[in-house]
Amino acid sequence: MLTMVIWWLCILVEALLLVRGIQQRLVRQFPIFYMYILFVFVEELLRFFVYRWYPNHYFNVYWTTQFLSLVIGSAVIFEIYRIGLRSFPGTARMTRFILLIVFGAIFAKALANPSESLFYWFANSSLELERNLRIAQALAILTLVSLFLWYAIRFGKNLRGILCGYGLFIALSIVQLTVMAYFWNDFKPFWSYVHAISYLLVLCVWLRALWSAQAVPEAKPAMQLEDDYEALVASTSGQFRRALARLGWAVRV
Amino acid sequence: MMTMSIFIGVAVLLVLLLLLLTRSEDGEESASAEGADRIRRESRDTLQPWEIILRIFSREDREFILRMRSPRMLRIYQEERRRVALHWVRRTSCEVGEIMRTHRLASRQSENLDGAREAKLLFQYLRLQFVCGLLAFLIRMFGPHALSDLASYTGELYQRLGRALPDGGVASHLATTEDTATR
Repeated sequence: MLTMVIWWLCILVEALLLVRGIQQRLVRQFPIFYMYILFVFVEELLRFFVYRWYPNHYFNVYWTTQFLSLVIGSAVIFEIYRIGLRSFPGTARMTRFILLIVFGAIFAKALANPSESLFYWFANSSLELERNLRIAQALAILTLVSLFLWYAIRFGKNLRGILCGYGLFIALSIVQLTVMAYFWNDFKPFWSYVHAISYLLVLCVWLRALWSAQAVPEAKPAMQLEDDYEALVASTSGQFRRALARLGWAVRV
Repeated sequence: MMTMSIFIGVAVLLVLLLLLLTRSEDGEESASAEGADRIRRESRDTLQPWEIILRIFSREDREFILRMRSPRMLRIYQEERRRVALHWVRRTSCEVGEIMRTHRLASRQSENLDGAREAKLLFQYLRLQFVCGLLAFLIRMFGPHALSDLASYTGELYQRLGRALPDGGVASHLATTEDTATR
């Protein structure tokens, strides 16, 4: 009964998110994210319909829609990257490069150990497959967030809310799927509650962040006189050398 | 169990970084602007820091206090000098942090941002912070003259060894070793 209440509450919040998105014209700003929410909204209704009237097909419908939402969710990460780094072409290039390394490493590991990889679709259970794909998404978000933090990229309340909500959703999914993989029998009775409550929490984060539109703040122009990157690197490197020399003096005096 | 810990660790790290992201949105840019101004102001007077280093870590003051043969005076001197030296190290560490922050904020909009150079600068920055941390630790544990004392003690020991062995054996041995190493 409680699960059903939470389920309907989630559908209600998703509908509210879509309505506010249209009212505030955020749909235009974040089209992929709202497409994702729309997909999840339709998916929840479809799952409910199948669960209620065709329970035998529920398993297949659940996993098919789950993987489709996972694919669209990956596109949300790409949208965060695209909008967040719009004014930072150099940082965007570096992010692409690092993401390429991260995914290259995952792919290389998969090729090296095919029996443990993401691509060993049929032997592993659906749960493990989803968990592994969520890990890949988590690594992509970790890379993005680390670079956003390092270069102090500001992207406003809306985009930050999307990123935090989706990141939280992935983190919670990984924890749940990992715990389930190891302690399925102990965890089974609580699974539906934990899953539903954590998803509702994520929806609340999104609803709070996307209730009203807020423009993405423009970054201030570079503060140093040097427009040239070469000169900037040389200047920073020189200052570091002087600082090191000063520390060396302190030891030698 | 190991795999499980790694997966849970990734999730926890993600949540921690997201928490940091929610906290660090507004402060850094204005703080860095102030920091950059301060660094520019201070870098005009480049002689001052060298003089400060000479004063803080100079042995003359200590020798003067030692000549006074007052244990109380010596204790006060050591306490004060340790505090001043620690303050100087902390300030240097802050300045290094400001330099890096200013660089990050200035370079992020550059179209030519180079990953390899950024990584090299990051390495230099981490090395400096490590040196500052190590220096602060040594000053806290052994006082501001610990490293120079150690260096002079080693030199003294080397000279004593040289005198103890006939025909300058140690010196010639060390010279040979150094020679081989440079080759």
